Amino acid sequence: MEATIEVRGLRKRYGQTVAVDGLSFMVRPGQVTGFVGPNGAGKSTTMRMIMGLDRPEEGTALIGGRPYRSLRTPLCEVGAMLDSAAVHPSRGARHHLLWVAHANGLPARRVDEVIDIVGLSGAAGRSAGGFSLGMRQRLGIAVALLGDPPVLILDEPVNGLDPEGIAWMRGLLRSLAAEGRAVLVSSHLMSELEDSADHLVVVGRGRLVADTSVRELLAAASGDRVLVRTASRSEAMTVLAGAGAVVAATDREALTIVGMTAERIVALLGEGGVPFSGVAEHSASLEEAYMELTRDAVDFRGTAGSSGE
Amino acid sequence: MSDVTGGAAAPDAAPDAGADAGAASATGSPAPYRSSVQGARDGFPQLLLAEWTKLRSVPRWALTMAAAVVLTILVALITAGGANADHAGGDGETNARASVLRDDQDRGHLVHRPLTGDGTLVARVTAQKNSDPWAKAGLMLKESNQTGASYAAVVRTPDHGVRMQTGFSGDTTGTARGADAPLPRWLKLTRAGDSVTGHVSADGADWHRIGTVELGGLPRTVKVGLFVGSPDDVEVTRQFGGEAVEGRPTDGKATFDQVRVEGQAGGPQSVPWRDRERTAGHAGGGFTQADGTFTVTGTGDIGRDEFVDDLTRDTLSGVLIGLMAVVALGVLFITAEYRRGMIRTTFTASPRRGRVLAAKAVVIGAATFAAGLVASFGAFLLAAPVLRSGGRQPVPLSEGPVLRAVLGTALLLAVIAVFSLAVGALLRHSAAAITTVLLLVLLPLIVATGLPLSAATWLERLTPAAGFAIQQTVHRYDTVIDPWAGLGVLCGYTVIALALAARRLRTRDA
Repeated sequence: MEATIEVRGLRKRYGQTVAVDGLSFMVRPGQVTGFVGPNGAGKSTTMRMIMGLDRPEEGTALIGGRPYRSLRTPLCEVGAMLDSAAVHPSRGARHHLLWVAHANGLPARRVDEVIDIVGLSGAAGRSAGGFSLGMRQRLGIAVALLGDPPVLILDEPVNGLDPEGIAWMRGLLRSLAAEGRAVLVSSHLMSELEDSADHLVVVGRGRLVADTSVRELLAAASGDRVLVRTASRSEAMTVLAGAGAVVAATDREALTIVGMTAERIVALLGEGGVPFSGVAEHSASLEEAYMELTRDAVDFRGTAGSSGE
Repeated sequence: MSDVTGGAAAPDAAPDAGADAGAASATGSPAPYRSSVQGARDGFPQLLLAEWTKLRSVPRWALTMAAAVVLTILVALITAGGANADHAGGDGETNARASVLRDDQDRGHLVHRPLTGDGTLVARVTAQKNSDPWAKAGLMLKESNQTGASYAAVVRTPDHGVRMQTGFSGDTTGTARGADAPLPRWLKLTRAGDSVTGHVSADGADWHRIGTVELGGLPRTVKVGLFVGSPDDVEVTRQFGGEAVEGRPTDGKATFDQVRVEGQAGGPQSVPWRDRERTAGHAGGGFTQADGTFTVTGTGDIGRDEFVDDLTRDTLSGVLIGLMAVVALGVLFITAEYRRGMIRTTFTASPRRGRVLAAKAVVIGAATFAAGLVASFGAFLLAAPVLRSGGRQPVPLSEGPVLRAVLGTALLLAVIAVFSLAVGALLRHSAAAITTVLLLVLLPLIVATGLPLSAATWLERLTPAAGFAIQQTVHRYDTVIDPWAGLGVLCGYTVIALALAARRLRTRDA
């Protein structure tokens, strides 16, 4: 079985609210796929449908080409952390892992292995009710890793971790993907996925906004904007606008130019004798790129929604 | 984006992300990853082990189960002590109900003589005092004078015609043309081997056969004679929370003539008629004989004692308190998972949800049965010395109905636990499910005591409360259903609830 998640035309409604609206994407092995969107975008619902917990109204979600409910020993095929709070508060962490392991006939030694992997060895005997959010996240990851599965589905795993925990989680996600696993990680904050995701599936209001590699997204979001720092702002605007660029004043001493390369700007300013202190090609952060994407998505949604009805 | 410094900071981060993505795609599409875990299975035994691990690893649940056991035993001890206190004020006669299980009574009066081999007894009832609608005057063949010895009788009653009776419960009506049996009335009882046949006649010539009963293992010589009995006048007061039974003896009286015993062995007619010996609990009676006319008096009845104490059931009544803990545990075993969302972990590990419910039912049922055995045997065995110290004799476990009641109590708790689980799976809410189960199981019992007997009967027959019938060891006036049938009713409700729960689990989102 190839370690993939394939989502095709998923649709799910809760009462009048459409949670997921015709979503399709593919999660490939060997990379971390970020599943990003604002709260309420339908990420968790999609994950539950992939895991066979919620029934989609339309569409399919396949793991290695098969629906989840048809998997034998599913813990060895897919590991999931959907909600780190989903533990009985009076049950010890080790016992929690033990019953999950028993359900798929996994050996008890595997429980101790995953406890080591997530760094809970000192707390394994304690009841999960006394765990911090970060420790619960680690326990949830341990459950997902029990069957050593080729596919991992983690809902907001970074949420609530301290900086050290975040660094650990990034390293873990990267190493899991490097072993050839398909890793789907959701987050409502793009910044959490910086440094860990290779591929992004961006959703807004249940629809696909972007399905792209991180590198392409950054390149596209950066666009061809150039920042110019100059004390003679109005002169520079005249020169550049006259040459056909779109110019916006963004600060007392700064301009943003679109539609012109940095080289050409330097040349034009030199020809016009306009003094400037710096010219820099703008490079977007993932967060900025994401903001831009979702803003577009909202606009698009607005028109699509009104024309649809 | 309008912030220049923000824009300037970005180049540090972006190339890194890009480089990482590049590194990943460079090592991308390696051989498909395979789980290193060997020997994984997701069969039903694995599921049972998983559910058992869940059950035993929440300390509070173990305490709940222990509480069910302790409460059941404690209530048994309190009940036993309380019964002794009540009993101390009563008369001593019920002490006679010793360590043998009896829900029959062998009273009334028999004026008898021996009959060897086959033979016939004939007599004419000429008068009967209307001491009770079910007062009896007639002929009886009895294995011996021992209390509880087998018998066959044909008797005339004031309001229920002529009847053939045997075995303390068997009853055949002999007056098909109506309940009325005008006096005088001829009666005949015939023995042929182990068979005894009863006849009735208006004139002593035209005999109507009532029926034949088989009395296994009759000795060659038996007692035959004239029987007169009259049931106690019992008044039952029912109110919420209990009942009061008050009985006063009535005296039956009847006259017979044309009394004839025809034995195959041809025993002399001169053998004297004798009164049955008076024993404890046998108030007795007597007879006079003049010119072939017998006047016989007798007190008490032969047949089923509808008002006998069910000491074993009373001892086990602590289960009513213990079951509350069991209900809570059965419900929480599934609703706790819904409350925390852990049910999703359960269903991702075992996507076949019907099997999960089945495994949960087996585990909670078996665990409760084990705890129930401790509770019911504990209650029975610990209450016994208390009862004895109060002068009462608990019936031993060697009596079948008692063993059935004690084992059945554990079974009852187990079935209630499974029923609670099913209701919990249906409602997915702890408080709602616990309330529902307690209403269904306990409310009928409470309401029944305040209802007329006929309405109470149906309530206790058709609701899950019927399951408590398994605790009966004797048949009483308020017995509404056989022990196993009653438990069967509860099992029926449980199966229906499980089926509905399984359907709901499969069709609804987790």
